[in-house]
Amino acid sequence: MTAMIGPVTANPYRWPYDGSVPVSKTALICIDWQVDFCGKGGYVDSMGYDIELTRAGLPATAKLLDHVRGLGMLVIHTREGHDPDLSDLPPNKRWRSAQIGAEIGADGPCGRILVRGEPGWEIVPEVAPVAGEVIVDKPGKGAFYATNLDLVLRTHGITHIILTGITTDVCVHTTMREANDRGYECLILSDCTGATDPSNHTAALHMVTMQGGVFGCVSTSDDVIAATSEPSNRPAHHPQAD
Amino acid sequence: MPAVDAQPGPFSFDLDSTALVVIDMQRDFLLPGGFGESLGNDVSQLRRTIEPLAALMAAWRAAGLPLIHTREGHKPDLSDCPPAKLNRGAPSMRIGDPGTFGRILIQGEYGHDIVDELQPIEGETVIDKPGKGAFYATELSDILEKDGIKSLVVTGVTTEVCVHTTVREANDRGYECLVLADCVGSYFPEFQQVGLKMIAAQGGIFGWVAESPSVIAAIQE
Repeated sequence: MTAMIGPVTANPYRWPYDGSVPVSKTALICIDWQVDFCGKGGYVDSMGYDIELTRAGLPATAKLLDHVRGLGMLVIHTREGHDPDLSDLPPNKRWRSAQIGAEIGADGPCGRILVRGEPGWEIVPEVAPVAGEVIVDKPGKGAFYATNLDLVLRTHGITHIILTGITTDVCVHTTMREANDRGYECLILSDCTGATDPSNHTAALHMVTMQGGVFGCVSTSDDVIAATSEPSNRPAHHPQAD
Repeated sequence: MPAVDAQPGPFSFDLDSTALVVIDMQRDFLLPGGFGESLGNDVSQLRRTIEPLAALMAAWRAAGLPLIHTREGHKPDLSDCPPAKLNRGAPSMRIGDPGTFGRILIQGEYGHDIVDELQPIEGETVIDKPGKGAFYATELSDILEKDGIKSLVVTGVTTEVCVHTTVREANDRGYECLVLADCVGSYFPEFQQVGLKMIAAQGGIFGWVAESPSVIAAIQE
């Protein structure tokens, strides 16, 4: 038997909806923990935002990663970025980034902004992928559009998704919405996410919980860790934690 | 090229390549006594969009421009409804249950169709979608590509759920989206406000926000 996860103390219901799920059917998706979004000299820093806000979820995410790796859970990392020739960059996305002084493809302190292969595009060391983990490169905010993510999830038999990453209201929310429409049962972690605008972080988490969990549930990394157990020390349907 | 005052800056669009998208103005969500209200929601928050939207649609049709309606719903056998959507949160009323206006959110039922004031007319596209986003598991992308559409004027309900999801999908696909504040509605005023703010944040990360009278004026020029 495999380790199980759930029920996790969460809002608005104990996650997942179906009580508990084998770790083997669950994926942890770490979204866009890139230098460009949470590192010094990266894209978000260049736009003048406080990167402490986007870095806030790093320690909890690192701890959770350590835990789920020990359980053998599938870990997927995503990176937003574009080909060096910018052939996959929609003109309006380029234009808007230029309007706010950080044009995608232009040279910045961490190399060309949001271009694949540049230092700014790399995942920060605190939550860097280890050998065997899946990395999905995406041209947009959502991790499903124009990527192989859905195929990777279905090939691994994944039905449930736990989300960490940045930023809460943009890439994490877009990906959660895409996953939800595709039937995946989603959990977003408030302490493993962050936004350039703290009020958008709070509002984005609140939106998830409305109408009985319109996109899934909100919880924390500690609640996930507490609700994960090996079959040997846990009677079925009676979680010792939470 | 018409242009309108918008957040975070002017939005200009080509009449030959812009479609009006009207999202989920369905009886189940908008009518008193319907599914939305049965969940404890204040439908007047959504119903205030009907009048400005009807005026916009009339002007849009008069200009001969493409109009696309969407409806959220499922097949009568629920074969296209994910178990998580059907069962999560142990809802008191589920999709497919009998409601005031027929089975809730089921294609072909009275409640699933669009409110009388905003009914599609001959030649307009109606997209039936199983999720919140209008792109996933629908023919919307193909239709937009075939018709050479590059910009979308987005209206409908609800602001932070189906409108936001569709705008996010459209934005990733390279479409320019103008969201009309007076023609989108949320059951929750807090989310109406923050939902619009998120679209125009960071230089318009998902698109632009304006009001319908400025669009009507622009297409009538």
